[in-house]
Amino acid sequence: MQLSRPSIRPSRIALHAVMILLVVWSVTPFVWTAQTSIKFTRDVASKTPVLWGYETTANAYRNFWLDSDDLNMWGVLAFILVVAAVATALGLIGRRARHGWPWFLGATAVICVALWRFPRIWEANDEYDFLVNSVVVTILTMVISLSIGLLAGYGLARYTGISGAVILIVALGFRALPRTAFVLPYFFGAKEIDDWLTSTGVGSWNFPLIDFPGIDTLQILDTRLAIVLALVAVNQPFTIWMLRSFFIEVPKEMEEAAMMDGATRLQAFRKVIIPIMWPAIIATGLFTMLLAYNEYLFVRVLAPTEWTLPVAIVSLTGGESSRTITEAAAASVSITLPIVIVIILFQKHLVRGLGAGAVKG
Amino acid sequence: MNRRTFWWFTIPSVIVMLALMVFPLITTIWLGFQKLLLRDLNNPEWVGWDNYRDVLSDPEFWAALRFTLVFVVVTVPVSMVFGLAVALLLDRVGRGRAIYMAALLLPFIVTPVVGTLIYEDLFERGGLISWLWEVFTDDAFAVSASNVKVLIVVQYIWYVMPFAMITFFAGLQTLPEERVEAAALDGAGFWRNLWHVTLPHLRLLVVFVGLISVMDAYRVYDSVFVWTGNRFTEAHTLAVYNVRIATAFDIGRLGKGNAIAVITVIGIFVVLIPFLWRSYRDQIAERT
Repeated sequence: MQLSRPSIRPSRIALHAVMILLVVWSVTPFVWTAQTSIKFTRDVASKTPVLWGYETTANAYRNFWLDSDDLNMWGVLAFILVVAAVATALGLIGRRARHGWPWFLGATAVICVALWRFPRIWEANDEYDFLVNSVVVTILTMVISLSIGLLAGYGLARYTGISGAVILIVALGFRALPRTAFVLPYFFGAKEIDDWLTSTGVGSWNFPLIDFPGIDTLQILDTRLAIVLALVAVNQPFTIWMLRSFFIEVPKEMEEAAMMDGATRLQAFRKVIIPIMWPAIIATGLFTMLLAYNEYLFVRVLAPTEWTLPVAIVSLTGGESSRTITEAAAASVSITLPIVIVIILFQKHLVRGLGAGAVKG
Repeated sequence: MNRRTFWWFTIPSVIVMLALMVFPLITTIWLGFQKLLLRDLNNPEWVGWDNYRDVLSDPEFWAALRFTLVFVVVTVPVSMVFGLAVALLLDRVGRGRAIYMAALLLPFIVTPVVGTLIYEDLFERGGLISWLWEVFTDDAFAVSASNVKVLIVVQYIWYVMPFAMITFFAGLQTLPEERVEAAALDGAGFWRNLWHVTLPHLRLLVVFVGLISVMDAYRVYDSVFVWTGNRFTEAHTLAVYNVRIATAFDIGRLGKGNAIAVITVIGIFVVLIPFLWRSYRDQIAERT
């Protein structure tokens, strides 16, 4: 007798029909925007939507990113495709490798070099700086958040005292708090510190080596540092809960064996535990990446000029002309594509992370 | 692991949370008692409960609170049931599952402000849906004060459903096949199977998704801000209202803004305290 999952058993065709309807519900806005971004203004402005057979153009992308009115965009596209292909290939290898980090580091390096070279090949707009800000903020937030989160998650998974429980519950409470409870004191506090730095004269010191480009004085408000600190903080509760739930799955005997052989706790952690934690690090890193890359409110309040891409795109939409509509569409496509590539590459880790992280939490 | 080692591992994270969460929260409470204007940040003045009186007698606050509660009550259950249904369907799909999942995840991973902007584009003049509306009803469609709340809710469900979907889907992957087969041998149909086998297995996940969804819906900012801006202030949620009061150009009232933030925090904790207490008991039980 053959067993199968009991169900109303929709036929395969019906199942796929429903799935396709769901996909339509999900992706229609994306398809629409992608179309808008490559249309000419006259087609966008027409009262009846031009759904197919329209002439395509990369004008919107050029206007948003580049400081030039007539430039062949094929070269730019080729550059982006090559960089994306190389970075994706490195990511794919890293996903399969036993030690992923050299490959991921390589992919990050390729992207950084490309970002650095790009404005030296083509003349870029201000918006390009916002892209760089986005990348810097995302990478720094991931690195800092994961570093301290891994240590704390491990400690919380292995320690059995009451203080561990208290920290976890307080963190869970903080996960619930709205951004508004933090953003105003962050703003006020950063302002106070900046005033103090100015009044003592420290603010005008120059630190050419650690300074971020474009900022001459030591300050907190309106720097990428402010955004990173804010994001690391609000992300900490989630990070330690998720990583802790992964560490609990690792049997204690793993590091105990290493410590019997004379390794210290920290050595055992680094040499024995971290290497098998890659799936967890990737899953948590993905969520951190989404959080940092997508943040809007903190950036808007804490960084009046050092925007990241989400703020830049929202600021575009004040105007009503069709020109800004196509540009906003081009910007939306540009900001979405990198994240889509990353998520497709690591989709399995995302699913597994939510499964493992959540069942315990 | 002994206490000392534990603190060495945990202290960086604890310092970050103390300095950038506990301390700012105390500052929020303190600032809530100050008269403090955005254009004059250097002269806070203690005014006691004035800000709170001001907030509680502000009709806009009550409108924001009411809409926020409606928003939570509608979006959380709908997105969870919807997500569970899609997860069950996705679980049945054999070939092409990864492609479906990637497409269905898209609204959730896209930057929320961008996702809202592109969704809104469908309803703007010349957009796909407003055009279809005109074709079928002969009326011009416009985003207006009367329909923007519905649009906000629908778009938020579009955005957040994949979270429930992917979490439940992940949970379904750990459901032992034997349990389902045993239920099938007993002649359980789809609904009985769902009720007696699948849902009990997903119980913890349902609580988890429910908690996270309530937290996130209650503090929603990005999408509501993009939909309404300064056009439809009557459709503002608490967070949007809060930021508007605190940072409005030239008339930003930071003191009142912080009072609203404190009230918002109290609001979520009223709901959350039982859950936090239960998690605390679970944690303690795990340790003894």
